[in-house]
Amino acid sequence: MRFIGKLENLCIYDMGEREDQCQDFSFHAGKSEGYGEFTFVYGPSAGGLTESVQFMIKTSGEQILEIEANPYFKKRKLKFSGRIEDVILTVERINAMFSASHSLSFIIAVERSVDVNVDYEVMMARIIELELERIRNHLHVLHKLAETGALGVASYQLQEMEERTNRLIGEVCGHRYFFSSNWINSVKCNLEKVRLDYLNGFNSFFNDMLENRILIDRFQNNGKIDQDWLIGPAARASGRSYDSRYDSDSLPYKDLGFSPIVERSPDTFGRFLIRGLEILQSIEIIRGALGKAKNVRGGEVKVKGVGSGMSRVESPSGDLVYKVKVDDGFISTSFLPPSKANLSFFLKSVIGTIFTDFPFNWEGFGIWISEIGVEKE
Amino acid sequence: MNWFLRGLRRGVKTESKPTSTPPWASSLKVEGNFQGCPTNAIEDGWDSGKCIFCRRCYPSLKPTGDHRMASARGNPMFRRSFYLYPLDVGTCGGCNSELKLISSPQYDMTRFGIFFTNSPRHADGVVIMGVLTEGMREVLKETLDAVPSPKVLILLGACAISGGVVGEGVKIEADVIVPGCPPSPNTILDALIKAKGGKGW
Repeated sequence: MRFIGKLENLCIYDMGEREDQCQDFSFHAGKSEGYGEFTFVYGPSAGGLTESVQFMIKTSGEQILEIEANPYFKKRKLKFSGRIEDVILTVERINAMFSASHSLSFIIAVERSVDVNVDYEVMMARIIELELERIRNHLHVLHKLAETGALGVASYQLQEMEERTNRLIGEVCGHRYFFSSNWINSVKCNLEKVRLDYLNGFNSFFNDMLENRILIDRFQNNGKIDQDWLIGPAARASGRSYDSRYDSDSLPYKDLGFSPIVERSPDTFGRFLIRGLEILQSIEIIRGALGKAKNVRGGEVKVKGVGSGMSRVESPSGDLVYKVKVDDGFISTSFLPPSKANLSFFLKSVIGTIFTDFPFNWEGFGIWISEIGVEKE
Repeated sequence: MNWFLRGLRRGVKTESKPTSTPPWASSLKVEGNFQGCPTNAIEDGWDSGKCIFCRRCYPSLKPTGDHRMASARGNPMFRRSFYLYPLDVGTCGGCNSELKLISSPQYDMTRFGIFFTNSPRHADGVVIMGVLTEGMREVLKETLDAVPSPKVLILLGACAISGGVVGEGVKIEADVIVPGCPPSPNTILDALIKAKGGKGW
């Protein structure tokens, strides 16, 4: 049984949830009280940081001995209760890069709360959405890693592919971040427009990146972390086949013959490798699902009745859990984002590395502060 | 393969004119009455700064496909080069990602003399994104103080302009307003070129 995280008073495991005592993730790692050490403050707003977050780094000059992160500078107070059509507008805007994951996990939890029978074609369409989002996000992370390594041509070519993916999503679903594309038993996307030809050369492109020793040397043995409770690409890079697509019944990935890609390199290189290979895997999943998702618009459903439900989907950076309570169309919800666990493990993996390693390690985890720094209004 | 050759083999990807604006990142045309906008963007006509493009008003309001929604007070002083410092005061990450993508080969902002800088001291303008959160209030003030005058203040996205559905907007007198949730790279580039005194994208 693997531990995924703490959501309010619940401990979430892959086999289910239970009210129990379990530790929440800490945003502090390492210990140092040596002579001549000083604290280096990085953030909340600084070059190299896409989002606002602050790191207090204790060092004696080069090596990072202790670190504490404050992801709450940009803490937003969001409304997570009300009519479902209003709450979903907020849910989509928790983290735009994982918007499909958030909205689908939320909607699946609502459907479970009031026993909605979801059409098989709609579930397949949802898989296509999630895999398009994974491709976009993995390309983004690979681009940031190549950019950090000053590999200009690769960096721009990855960004070009990321933009092409955004355009594809916009053409298929009307919005580049899937906003207002999902509803109960319904997906508002024209899947006939899904064309992934622009990624045909990705395999050889990625192999060329793997042969670049300058880049790989920055990744190998940087940010090593090998322990239970890891999630997403970080877990799979360390040899653990942890994946909600495999061990959660939220969506029928098993019908597409899915099994997680696993490597034995628990460092930035392993996480880089997993993301590259998962782009190729996602292309195959989408091609498999396209034939099974022709009529995606399910019947309109009004949410009636009383109930509660949970759902877990695999976002591009790991398990994303939603808990929902429904009372005749009135919803209240809470969630456990993957970036919370990833930030905690990132901080642990930083200890003992040097400042030059920091940006490679940071980008490799694919953390989004926007989904950590939220509070219920 | 050598990366230089790989770059050459892929050819030029930079586009000479805007393409591929998705419908729900373009301006809306009022074709009927609609009540129930979650951000009150439809009162006396359509207010692009309040709109989060949630499609609830469709078909009373329909997307036009036109990405040119931004308003800008152009400053020809920055015609040759325009250095921008992005500041996230409370985003969902969407505006950050779309802003970053104007450096992609399709848009190539540098051909228009637009660049990002890592320090507000070296900036000509600040791109402010997101709802104004309590923790970032002081950071915003310090950043604006650090940018030398004359400076261009840019509000990017519905959250910064009006608060959207998730909070309060940033109440400053901005030179450039870029609507969208998030604004597409086409809209952002159009706004920034106008801010430099150009005709837009």
